[in-house]
Amino acid sequence: MSAPPYSYSYIFKYIIIGDMGVGKSCLLHQFTEKKFMSDCPHTIGVEFGTRIIDVCGQKIKLQIWDTAGQERFRAVTRSYYRGAAGALMVYDTTRRTTYNHLSSWLTDTRNLTNPSTVIFLIGNKSDLKDQRDVAYEEAKQFADENGLMFVEASAKTGDNVEEAFVETAKKIFQCIQDGRLDLNATESGVQHKPSQPGRQTLTDQSPKPSCSC
Amino acid sequence: MSTMDYSELFPKIQAKFKFTAGENIVSIYEVVLLEGWVKTSRILSLIENCGSYGFFVFNVFRGSAGISDILIDYAFPVNNEFKIDVVSEDADISVTVTFRKVKLLFEMMTSEKTKSFISELHKISEISAEKENSLDFAWLSKYVNEATYGRSAEDNSQNSEVNGQLEDLPTGSELMVPRHSIARGTTPIAGRESAVRYQMTLKEKDYTYTQSIRIFVGTWNVNGQPPTVSLSDWLSVDPDPPDIYAIGFQELDLSKEAFLFNDSPREEEWLGAVILSLHPKGKYSKVSLVRLVGMMLIVFVREQHVAYIRNVATDTVGTGIMGKLGNKGGVAVRFDIHNTSLCFVNAHLAAHVEEYERRNQDYRDICSRISFPKFLPPKTIKDHDQVYWFGDLNYRITELDAPTVKRLIETNSYDAILVYDQLKQNFKAERVFEKYKEGRILFKPTYKYDTGSDEWDSSEKNRAPAWCDRVLWKGDKIKQICYRSHAELKISDHKPVSALFDSEIRVIDAIKYRKIHEEVMKKLDRLENEFLPQVMVDTTEIIFDKVHFLEAQSKDLIIANTGQVPVQFEFIKKLDDSSYCKDWLHIEPYMGFIMPGEKCDVKLEIYVDKRSACELNSSEDNKLYDILVLHLEGGKDIFITVTGTYVYSCFGMSLDLLSRINVPIREITKAELRNLEKNNDYRQSDPYAIPKEIWFLVDHLYRNGMKQHHLFEQPGLHAEVLLIRDWLDLGVPEHLRILCHC
Ligand SMILES: Nc1nc2c(ncn2[C@@H]2O[C@H](COP(=O)(O)OP(=O)(O)OP(=O)(O)O)[C@@H](O)[C@H]2O)c(=O)[nH]1
Ligand SMILES: [Mg+2]
Repeated sequence: MSAPPYSYSYIFKYIIIGDMGVGKSCLLHQFTEKKFMSDCPHTIGVEFGTRIIDVCGQKIKLQIWDTAGQERFRAVTRSYYRGAAGALMVYDTTRRTTYNHLSSWLTDTRNLTNPSTVIFLIGNKSDLKDQRDVAYEEAKQFADENGLMFVEASAKTGDNVEEAFVETAKKIFQCIQDGRLDLNATESGVQHKPSQPGRQTLTDQSPKPSCSC
Repeated sequence: MSTMDYSELFPKIQAKFKFTAGENIVSIYEVVLLEGWVKTSRILSLIENCGSYGFFVFNVFRGSAGISDILIDYAFPVNNEFKIDVVSEDADISVTVTFRKVKLLFEMMTSEKTKSFISELHKISEISAEKENSLDFAWLSKYVNEATYGRSAEDNSQNSEVNGQLEDLPTGSELMVPRHSIARGTTPIAGRESAVRYQMTLKEKDYTYTQSIRIFVGTWNVNGQPPTVSLSDWLSVDPDPPDIYAIGFQELDLSKEAFLFNDSPREEEWLGAVILSLHPKGKYSKVSLVRLVGMMLIVFVREQHVAYIRNVATDTVGTGIMGKLGNKGGVAVRFDIHNTSLCFVNAHLAAHVEEYERRNQDYRDICSRISFPKFLPPKTIKDHDQVYWFGDLNYRITELDAPTVKRLIETNSYDAILVYDQLKQNFKAERVFEKYKEGRILFKPTYKYDTGSDEWDSSEKNRAPAWCDRVLWKGDKIKQICYRSHAELKISDHKPVSALFDSEIRVIDAIKYRKIHEEVMKKLDRLENEFLPQVMVDTTEIIFDKVHFLEAQSKDLIIANTGQVPVQFEFIKKLDDSSYCKDWLHIEPYMGFIMPGEKCDVKLEIYVDKRSACELNSSEDNKLYDILVLHLEGGKDIFITVTGTYVYSCFGMSLDLLSRINVPIREITKAELRNLEKNNDYRQSDPYAIPKEIWFLVDHLYRNGMKQHHLFEQPGLHAEVLLIRDWLDLGVPEHLRILCHC
């Protein structure tokens, strides 16, 4: 008997990026567990979460990689961008610096993913209204100028969290249907048949010549 | 899944369990058992002994050399407590097998073989349920004792009376997920779709509520007459419009054409007449119309319910001439309204006063032959929550002569006559319509009248009037509101009959459904995330303080498996790196396997030798720094930061640089070194011809080492090498009294 073990038709790989403490892990947790973690330790590495959602009648399995935001890990986390179909770029609406760093995150994303990768900007912690440090309009304008999708969300209340993940998937799905996203490309971040996550190395291409001393 | 070699299995099962003579393995079939979300392979088998059947679930273990062991998971007697239901049949067929409190869910591939296996099981369980008392299951007991779960399931049922909490076990079946088999990597997480469906059926009560709908059931033998009158006096005599109409006709068309070709213009005529006479306060849609010769059944539903009607199906059965033709028999319509399944059967059973046995047989034939093959296995009449059975059932009054009956009718003493009603009699004797109900009859017999009148049949036969036309029902939560005949309609020798029911149906509460569905999905997601490998490390920062050239230091990193599944970890390369760690670091083991609850000590050894010293010397500061990526196969990555301060040394420096430094290397700062490297020499404009360190070494050898045997042939003692290193770097040669092994 060869029943498919999973009944979904696509796997989308997502990465979540942004400065430390902006709430990336909380967003992931809220999305997968519908719970808020009030004291979430810094992510030292890359966390992994999965959830199946329904998009346009299709079951889609999201494989979400939540990266460490600390600057010192920046070089390492760059390894994880490759092959992402969606990138959730997060800043903290109560800390302007995290917003100011967006252009550098965006540069990384553009350089390290392929052109069809859907980038979704999330202004997190929208529940902390009186601590707002970045105006909605300003971020919206930034998003528009750079062709990003955008919402303000709260990992605490769950507000707009589902939307951000699902809208990203819808956009990716649209790209597949329009033929803008080539499923056969190895780094599309979309798999049509289910498989387990797992790699041997972060560099799945032949190693580039590295400097020797 | 590998396809099972049954021929290998058969003798093995036989050998292991020593089925005695008389115990036959009837059939054997490989399936997938779903427990919670987990799929495992099982072998189902039916074993027969003197007409009684046992249902066995075998767990077959396989080694490299084929089958290594076979255990009995369950051994159920196939009796009236045993039930098999097909829950769904999409890509795979899901079947539940229930015995007492144990409910097992199996998944089977859609194939002819599966179908025949299921229908065989069905047949046997039906036959067995019928002859319950005569079956002896004693032979099974020894296998039940061997069964891994069979017995404990019975124990559970006793416990549950003591401990109410255990009652919840079946619904909480995800608690019993055999994590170990997942852990072994042998079982994929169960098919999500079927797991969700199964969980949703278990929780049906939580997201449905009941709603009462009014059903009008009508039956009329029209004796081949065309509809020349309005039917309103039959179909819309009540103040409120019913939700559903099920209207049955018999002898719609007595022509040869109808009989031979099942083709009749009457169908359209009567349908039109019916539509004109439906309750004026309701708007109706036709759900279905089915006709076999003269038997026709039409079902209408009020428009507001149309959206909730699904799986409409019809079937017809002829039990007439030669037991097959359509002059007698039954026609049926089934459908689901909301979450309740309904079946309407319009029958015309065998005629003639003395033929009640024939009528009973017709009933049984219709029961067994009506089937809706769009389901798998095909649903039959009994597979419905509610059944309404009506028609010209043709049962008569015997043992009373016509005048007596007519006299009793005059005084409305119907009960006195009904004692002699064949249907009542056969029903009482449980020879027909088992489990059906009929309302009290408070109306005159409906047969036989002189056409066009309310007068009893005046032909010379002079038969006793009878209640040929009846309405019965089966199912819970059905209340009959009225049961009556309609004398106003005189075009036939029968009077039409109707009954009204208030029937409770289960309606899905969309909000609750969504909530529960979401809960189920969430649970599944959580489970999937739980089964991701999880570890804890005792630290993510490994700090070495002073690291000297050629001096090894090590620290331990403890990786503990805190998850549910075995973890395979490996330190992996980062983008663009050629190795998973820097030259000066050594990780042992750099990959491994940890069982849940266990841990692994990883030794990180730092050792700067001539290969790495060079690079370290020219680095910005004295920091040893590396970020390791600890990857869990199929899961997350953890970054381990390794830091240390390198105490720089003349080893690994360029000779050019050394020749421009006139003090021990440790006496100048890293910044000064930087400057020197950039050729900004300010300490000495005139470099040495050779670095002083080399001069010291050669000088020392010249003075002390010339008499040393095998000079340069033996490696230096490590401790001495370190002393020499410090002597050169710090500049304290006077105190050194060392041998010359280098
Ligand atoms: N009020 C509020 N607090 C939040 C919200 N999201 C996250 N936090 C808090 O912000 C802190 C940081 O959240 P994390 O999810 O750990 O941040 P992160 O982006 O994953 O950080 P790194 O893992 O270091 O990159 C935690 O203490 C959270 O409780 C939010 O929407 N509202
Ligand atoms: Mg985090």
